[in-house]
Amino acid sequence: MDQKNNRPEAETKESEGLSRRAFLQQTATWSCAALVGSQLDFVNGLIARVQAGEITPDEAYELMKAENQLYTVCLNCNTGCGIKVKLLNGVAVKIDGSPYNPFTLNPHLPMKESPQSVAKIDAPLCPKGQAGHQGAYDPYRIRQVLKRAGKRGDGKWVSVPFDQAVDEIVKGGYLFKNIPGEENRKVTGLKDLYAVRDPQVLNMMGEDIAKIRKRKMKVWEFRDRHATNLHMLIDPEHPDFGPKNNQFVYMWGRKKGGRSDFSKRFSEAFGTINTHGHTTVCQGSLYFACKAMSEQYVGGDFKDGQKFYWQADLENAEYVLFVGTNLFEANYGPTNRSPRITQRLVDGKVKCTVLDPRYTKVASKGQRWVPVLPGTDAAFAMGMTRWILENRRFDSKFLSNCNKAAAAADKEPTWSNGAWLVKLDKDGKPSTLLRASEIGLKAAEKRKDKDGKESDYEFLVTLKDGKPIAFDPNDEKEAVEGDLLVNDEIKTEKCSFKVKSALQVMLETAQEKSIAEYAQICGIQPKVIEDVAKEFTSHGKKACVDMHRGPAQHTNGFYTISALMNLNLLVGNFDWTGGMIAASTYNTDGTKNDNQPFNFKKITPKYGKAFGTSIIRHDAKYEESTIFKGYPAKRNWWPLSSDVYEEIIPSIQDAYPYPIKVLFSYMGTPVYALPAGQTNAEALTDLDKAPLYYASDITIGTTSMYADYIFPDLHYLERWEMQGSHPNMPVKVQPVRQPVIASPNEVVKVFGEEQPISYETLWLALAERLGLPGFGPNGFGEGKPLTRPDDFYIRMVANIAYDGKEAVPDASDEEVEVFIKSRRHLPKNVFDAKRWEKISGKAWKKVVYLLNRGGRFDTQENSFKGDHVANKYGKQINLYQEKTYKVKDAFTGKHLHGMARYVPVADTLDRAPTELSQGHELHLITQRDVRMTKSRTVTNGYLMELMPENAIIIHTNDARQLGVKTGDKVKVVSATNPEGVWDLRNGTKKPMIGKVKVTETIRPGIITFTLGHGHWATGAADMEIDGKVIKGDPRRAAGVHANAAMWVDPHLKNTCFIDKVGGSVSFYDTKVKLIKV
Amino acid sequence: MEKDILIKMQEDLGRAVRKPEEKRRWGMLIDLRKCVGCHGCSVSCMAENKLGPGVVYRPVFEYETGKYPNVGRTFLPRPCMQCDKPPCVTACPVGGPDGATWKETKGIGAGVVKIDYSKCIGCGKCVPACPYGARALDDGSFHSNGKKVKAQPNEAAPFFEYGKKWVREDMHQPSGNARKCHFCVHRLAEGMLPQCTTTCVGRATYFGDLNDSESEISKVMAANKGKLQVLKKNKGTEPRVFYIADENLGNLYGSEK
Repeated sequence: MDQKNNRPEAETKESEGLSRRAFLQQTATWSCAALVGSQLDFVNGLIARVQAGEITPDEAYELMKAENQLYTVCLNCNTGCGIKVKLLNGVAVKIDGSPYNPFTLNPHLPMKESPQSVAKIDAPLCPKGQAGHQGAYDPYRIRQVLKRAGKRGDGKWVSVPFDQAVDEIVKGGYLFKNIPGEENRKVTGLKDLYAVRDPQVLNMMGEDIAKIRKRKMKVWEFRDRHATNLHMLIDPEHPDFGPKNNQFVYMWGRKKGGRSDFSKRFSEAFGTINTHGHTTVCQGSLYFACKAMSEQYVGGDFKDGQKFYWQADLENAEYVLFVGTNLFEANYGPTNRSPRITQRLVDGKVKCTVLDPRYTKVASKGQRWVPVLPGTDAAFAMGMTRWILENRRFDSKFLSNCNKAAAAADKEPTWSNGAWLVKLDKDGKPSTLLRASEIGLKAAEKRKDKDGKESDYEFLVTLKDGKPIAFDPNDEKEAVEGDLLVNDEIKTEKCSFKVKSALQVMLETAQEKSIAEYAQICGIQPKVIEDVAKEFTSHGKKACVDMHRGPAQHTNGFYTISALMNLNLLVGNFDWTGGMIAASTYNTDGTKNDNQPFNFKKITPKYGKAFGTSIIRHDAKYEESTIFKGYPAKRNWWPLSSDVYEEIIPSIQDAYPYPIKVLFSYMGTPVYALPAGQTNAEALTDLDKAPLYYASDITIGTTSMYADYIFPDLHYLERWEMQGSHPNMPVKVQPVRQPVIASPNEVVKVFGEEQPISYETLWLALAERLGLPGFGPNGFGEGKPLTRPDDFYIRMVANIAYDGKEAVPDASDEEVEVFIKSRRHLPKNVFDAKRWEKISGKAWKKVVYLLNRGGRFDTQENSFKGDHVANKYGKQINLYQEKTYKVKDAFTGKHLHGMARYVPVADTLDRAPTELSQGHELHLITQRDVRMTKSRTVTNGYLMELMPENAIIIHTNDARQLGVKTGDKVKVVSATNPEGVWDLRNGTKKPMIGKVKVTETIRPGIITFTLGHGHWATGAADMEIDGKVIKGDPRRAAGVHANAAMWVDPHLKNTCFIDKVGGSVSFYDTKVKLIKV
Repeated sequence: MEKDILIKMQEDLGRAVRKPEEKRRWGMLIDLRKCVGCHGCSVSCMAENKLGPGVVYRPVFEYETGKYPNVGRTFLPRPCMQCDKPPCVTACPVGGPDGATWKETKGIGAGVVKIDYSKCIGCGKCVPACPYGARALDDGSFHSNGKKVKAQPNEAAPFFEYGKKWVREDMHQPSGNARKCHFCVHRLAEGMLPQCTTTCVGRATYFGDLNDSESEISKVMAANKGKLQVLKKNKGTEPRVFYIADENLGNLYGSEK
């Protein structure tokens, strides 16, 4: 087949004709503001030495020239450090950290330094980042569209023209009639699922569905009102499933801003509600517990909770309790967090305690290691809570503040609901918050929201010196403080309410067990809890509890995170230097201020609002659905969480709540990454349940191997994205990922425009075939095309440049020259200065300025203001979660707890996993190694050289009992995988056999393995393309991946254990047995 | 706020490279209290100097000590020690002033134990002579395919050891030669820190002129005199690489060969 290779022919050496001397002199004139104090002198000195014959022209180190460097953003893990990519003849030959980016240099250099002046300054970067370019040049990358030529997962492919593949996916038909058994299988294409196309119809139906959910409309009424459109629904008997448009499901793994916006434009135009990310396989319950804590009271209900979390300001904290987080291996990330703490640890300016069954790298640098049992972090937290409350070591001034005005008077940027009154139900259990109107204290007030919609604003109540006071938590004028420990009854003429303050509820919840009992649960001494609680409360606001996926990835993750985060509320450290901080980024969509040139809201058509029940049933309550049939529900419903990764494919398999037709997956591998991921392979090989599956990937991956079509994507060095920030970064940033090398992918034409096949190209081509509004030659308005990735992303870059009080400066003419010269190796279908200038309009020189630095970064000085961080969260934070309380467990029908607590590990029906544990004595957990990311670092030779395989890491005592020593092979088995294999559903069963590594650095009884090895695709296995066998590289199959041993939930049957509140998968709760091989 | 120590050290370097070589003394200091065991230095060096399989100029060793729960972990990066009395040089059969390997006394690389690839016969005698295992033979293979033929473009690209341009493809030099760390003398020549230093996420690695008392490295060494150590002191190699550690490194790394 005819194909174009986008890689440039070897260029002639560009430095030829430029003498060493001329080069040095040029460098000298570029070094304007000497950022390394003596740089200018130094360069002059070098020139003198060249003249004296001391240095030969041979010594020219081409990598240090600005014209051979481009700044972009790493993606070998999600930290997204700023990188400086060094190029020779268009090839990325070396990657260093970027000195402009606060993730890589501390403090980073200000943007006013020109790229020429910082050309010789490299910044640190972790080993994965350093090896990232090996992924771009991976010999197993795919360059053309592959179509399945055998059974799903069989590894047989044919290359097909891009246009053919897109046509087939859109039109459907007998696409696989050449494959035995599929002769008569007709596949539904996207055009048949693009059923409701009229935005008004979509909106009207959606509004009525909301009424059905609130029991304000009957299903038959709906059917009458929408009789002419019922045929476009998935199931007219259950209109709340939504339109057929929802039968297109799009799921993704690692995706950041920009690419998210790109696909969102498509899914909104198409009208599907089924777009789901992977959050819950990472640290979902951390996100969703913090979302619950950040829900804001708006007069009746709580809303606008942010899917985010806080982390510690390591630059200023005096004490940090790290819980299940290892910042020297992972956790957003070693490059960023290490320099903020290593010297301070050496100098004794910060102390840390580490809660982890493993003696992690950070534990080895800390003052105290507490090897708690996995899944018991909340018991530790509740023990600390009890001690802190009983010994009155909390910040009562902070906690007394009921509203914004009271907080402001104390210079507190945030406030809690610790003093708010919670009503008790008939059993004396905490329920909803008391409203002032209920006790006749203050009537509801009519208020208009920002859209002019009027509603009743109900005031809340606190007791001050025993007297009820009504308040509005966002009142900026009238400060209201309340009594902290209240257990009272409020009587009115008509009724009486038993009430407690939220802090009282917390105290009583903590008092359900003694500190000794909590310690016993954790498997430690009670004194440790008391000592840590004392230390934590001895540093004012400069003490933090910092956590990541360790405490979150258990069946009790949501309440564990809430319990840990509540400790931060007890010392009131949010937004203080040395306290808990939140991420802050420059805006990309142009909706922040009027100077931003491209307001995406205005240059996007008014799409209808997708409606219905998602395939994972997020943002929906079981009781409000038309398939409510009592408890337990078949599968969970998720009113508090979204992006529940482990639900997507198993729900498709169960067709619950409805069958789907087309699945698209992008940059993720649920089969490899999820606990018990082999269940997903079973679902994906079921042609009835997933009739059409296409994927975007850069290799034939461990999940995309099951696809019907694989579209080659770009490596992260070849593409755009808006990386955003992470919660431990005090500096406001927006790192921009941009193409720095050409792509090897086949070049195709979409909307008449040449481009290498990419994720965006695929969306654009589908939009072109379907005729979706908002794409094409007039995609951004008359004469303003959206036909290529740069049409989209250059506009975003322009918006970033104009965000904030002041826009970034214009690039100088010399800088524009460097900009163009440093991109001389990029083909026109990727980079075209004229095209980019035209898209940018007035913003062009600012776009150049920003891209020359790999994004926009505020200064270190601007990031702190006195005792506070400059970029504040600045809102109310819930100690008691009313919205959580109002949700009922879909399996038991009971209200969820509104107060954080220790909940033992259990299955979805709340049963302790006693039976599953029997005969399986070892507790399996996982960990990251700084050299590996789950599924993409296996392609990086440098990393594999240092870590060719992983191991089953086990304590000496356990090894002795098993009769194994380091290097011996063992097989991992569990009650739900007694065979100890990955059943890949293609005839291959890959055994979970790994080498043992014996250590003293793990709690006895616990075993672990590092994630990233033990692959069965991504180049690890043989594959057949166009009839030719391509041999796999056995190095990539080395090591062990034991996720398949993780428990399958006995009620769900095709899904791992889950946290049914916060959505997290259970990574650390399974008991296994090791069998010597 | 103070500058990142990497910026300070690069400023120090600016002073150092302008000094006459006899007044300058390159040295490296690794503060193991700050080494977080990330292996970034190893990979950065592999990519900068295009090292093939089996050649790692600066590995990071990990040691565990004690019994649960009273345990310790130490991470120990091991570059070439650039010994003032290098046993590898005496082991080389291609000796003499124009030999294959020598302790440099001239120019920017004065103090570095260098290899002249054009003179090296690849006999491998220097490899076991080094008490630190800092030398290895380059067999000409590549990481991307494990073979000695055409590599992926990034591995086949030129690199700049000793201020010259090299390409390893098709068994070109330094394929077949002994290879070792050289403090990135090609970067020093341009006023840039060695790769391992510039990429150290824990800021554990210091580099500079030990004769400059104002340099960051000299100041940190002076402030931590009691904790300064060298590896295998009894070998009499007089290393130019120093360590700061609370633990006795002889007990971990070994004091014998």
